Amino acid sequence: MTGIRSASESSGLFSRYSPYGFDEMFTSAGVVRPAYVPLQQRLLNLSSTELERRHRIADLTMQRQGITFTVYGRNKGVERIMPFDPVPRIIPADEWDRIERGLKQRVRALNLFVHDVYHQRQILKDGIVPTELVLGASGYRRELHGIEVARDIYIHISGIDLIRDEQGNYLVLEDNCRTPSGVSYVLKNRQVMKEVFPLLFQQYDVQPIDDYASNLRAMLRYVAPGGIQDPTIVVLSPGVYNSAYYEHSFLARQMGIELVEGRDLVFENGQIAMRTTRGLQRIDVIYRRVDDDFLDPLAFRPDSQLGVAGLLGAYRAGQVTLVNGVGTGVCDDKGIYPFVPDIIRYYLGEDAILSNVETFRPLIDSHRQHILANLDKLVVKAVDGSGGYGMLIGPASTAEQREEFRAKILANPRGYIAQPTITLSQHPTFIGDHLEGRHVDLRPFVLYGEDIKILPGGLTRVALPRGSLVVNSSQGGGSKDTWVLGAGHS
Amino acid sequence: MLSRVAENLFWISRYVERAENLARVLNDAFHLELDAAGLHGDSEVKGPLDQVLNVLAGQDRFELTWDPRESEGLLMNLTFDSTRSHSLLSMISRARENARATQDTLSPESWSQLNQLYLALTRSKSRRQFEASPYRFYDRVKRSCILFHALIDSTMPRNEAFYFLEVGRFIERIDMISRVLNVWFSAVGEGDKSPDYSLRLVYWTGLLRSCSAYEAYLKRYHERMDAESIVQYLVFDLDFPRSMRFCVGRCLESLHGITGGGRANLAATEAERRLGRLESELRYADLQEVFARGLPNFLGGVQDSCARIVEEMQRAYFLN
Repeated sequence: MTGIRSASESSGLFSRYSPYGFDEMFTSAGVVRPAYVPLQQRLLNLSSTELERRHRIADLTMQRQGITFTVYGRNKGVERIMPFDPVPRIIPADEWDRIERGLKQRVRALNLFVHDVYHQRQILKDGIVPTELVLGASGYRRELHGIEVARDIYIHISGIDLIRDEQGNYLVLEDNCRTPSGVSYVLKNRQVMKEVFPLLFQQYDVQPIDDYASNLRAMLRYVAPGGIQDPTIVVLSPGVYNSAYYEHSFLARQMGIELVEGRDLVFENGQIAMRTTRGLQRIDVIYRRVDDDFLDPLAFRPDSQLGVAGLLGAYRAGQVTLVNGVGTGVCDDKGIYPFVPDIIRYYLGEDAILSNVETFRPLIDSHRQHILANLDKLVVKAVDGSGGYGMLIGPASTAEQREEFRAKILANPRGYIAQPTITLSQHPTFIGDHLEGRHVDLRPFVLYGEDIKILPGGLTRVALPRGSLVVNSSQGGGSKDTWVLGAGHS
Repeated sequence: MLSRVAENLFWISRYVERAENLARVLNDAFHLELDAAGLHGDSEVKGPLDQVLNVLAGQDRFELTWDPRESEGLLMNLTFDSTRSHSLLSMISRARENARATQDTLSPESWSQLNQLYLALTRSKSRRQFEASPYRFYDRVKRSCILFHALIDSTMPRNEAFYFLEVGRFIERIDMISRVLNVWFSAVGEGDKSPDYSLRLVYWTGLLRSCSAYEAYLKRYHERMDAESIVQYLVFDLDFPRSMRFCVGRCLESLHGITGGGRANLAATEAERRLGRLESELRYADLQEVFARGLPNFLGGVQDSCARIVEEMQRAYFLN
């Protein structure tokens, strides 16, 4: 461990730091926020060489354990570790309490919405959400209409992306209700952080996150078909070339269940079974990390090798539970997103605790005019895009790109939305040998089983290039450990 | 357990064992080449590296010609050429790829060990390390492979996964011992064609060394260095971990572990039955008879048995 450094040397870490927009550690007046005071003290006592050394150890640990994701593009895909930033993000208990309530409310309402969309469609009949938007959403699966699912739960696992605006308000940027990934990094980041930077934890009461896998497993058991007591549960992965493969195997291991691929499964006598060394074994619950389209070549894409023929039939017949349910993609559609506050009010009779980002819809004349006149200031997103692909960031765009999006919007107004460019909050981040501000977002993970449980914190992604607003790991984003403080602390 | 996973595990440890053995024979050949250089003279006998190629060729059916002046280039090639299926790097890559797809079944320690070996081999530094000292390089690889198996041994419960790993490992070892013996014995030859004693001694020593058996052998047989004793030791010895009989015993135990069989139920599957037969053959074989029938015949029979056992396992467990 390093001793106390002289003031001039120790302040080196922060010497080039300049607050900008909303800063997680400093107030606009440059004062350290109360929750960050002990952490900043600790950091000041570390030399940059020491921080650098430990940072390298953290990277090496991840590499050796194979905590990697695969980036597509060049040849078969390159395995990379997600860059890990050693400066943790801290969320005070009261802030987290509000986030938690907001997320529970949102996921509960969205789940009711999915159920309604695939049954009575009351919300459409009442004109709260336009029918054509729902039925035209790329995530809508008409095959599921009228189908009952175990415990009426569709959105078992969600990762709701939050950002903070210039005033520090938490806003929902995206709902990920299909197969959100990243939770393994949350758990691994914490583990590595404890190994490599144990001293930073001193003086903090950080809420533990170790029970995620057991909560996940309990949820999976809870949603077994017909209340089977001791269901066989598996994780279904597209396989080793999938970018999130590490996470699939990590979760299977943490839960002590099999990690299967489509080719391990067969449909027999109306049920799904896996091929084992002792013959076929029936499966009751599948935590699938395969998209709807690839689950069953008979029902969806006929060229898919990732699923198993007959799966959808077994699902519809209630022989097997799929987690998440099929057809939850309607919630992820950015065309539906602007209506979520109305959805919450409609089903729960409450105002949304977490606000949306202001959103313009080209389908509305006045909105379209506004969008086309302000392409250089807005962010335009394809309604079915994700992972930072298929979007235009106005202030960083070229005239050519804006023309391209203008044409796209006019040709397909249903296909796009636009939002003001929000300067995400920034957080001290270790760059080279000192700290600089980098933009962050937050993806908390929500489990919906017997009750709704939220992993304290979630994945803080950080955009590593200076000034960048894109935090996606496929586009150069890193991550931070995220600490939610115990109630006694704030 | 999933059939796919069982098959993966079987091949992971087989590849790691094969890589370890390859590191052994390459290292050994490198040294023999130095020792034997002065002794060969105009002898018709092929050099040690040629013999290694024979061992590998038997396994992978490939033709490889090389210039004796460039033996290091050849070693480099057999070590790092990822386009050759039999290179050290290819084997470790395949083992690691399989392990990545089976991470949740291996213990984290053993997976991480294999991953580290793979990362070390693919780093650019590793070629420089090889050039600096092939001996130290191969020694490190050998140790890494052994450590992988040791971690399995000390971190994994004795369940199906463990037993499939064990079977793969020991089947491969039996296979390799029989190949190495075969090639080395035909190199040394018999009767008139046999090279003089000092060169034979170099070969016998090399053979024992490549099986980590040199000192153990000396403790048993002292200075007696002849074909009979060496075969007795590497084939029929009950206690030495790189003797065929020892390995067959371990294989059989592991197969019992998989089937839940044992003494009362010795041949629950065809694979067990064949392995049991091989075991009793080794147990009751008569050394003179083996030599009378011809060692290559005998070793060929062992290799056939191994191949059949693997086929039976495929049928019983992997193709479900």
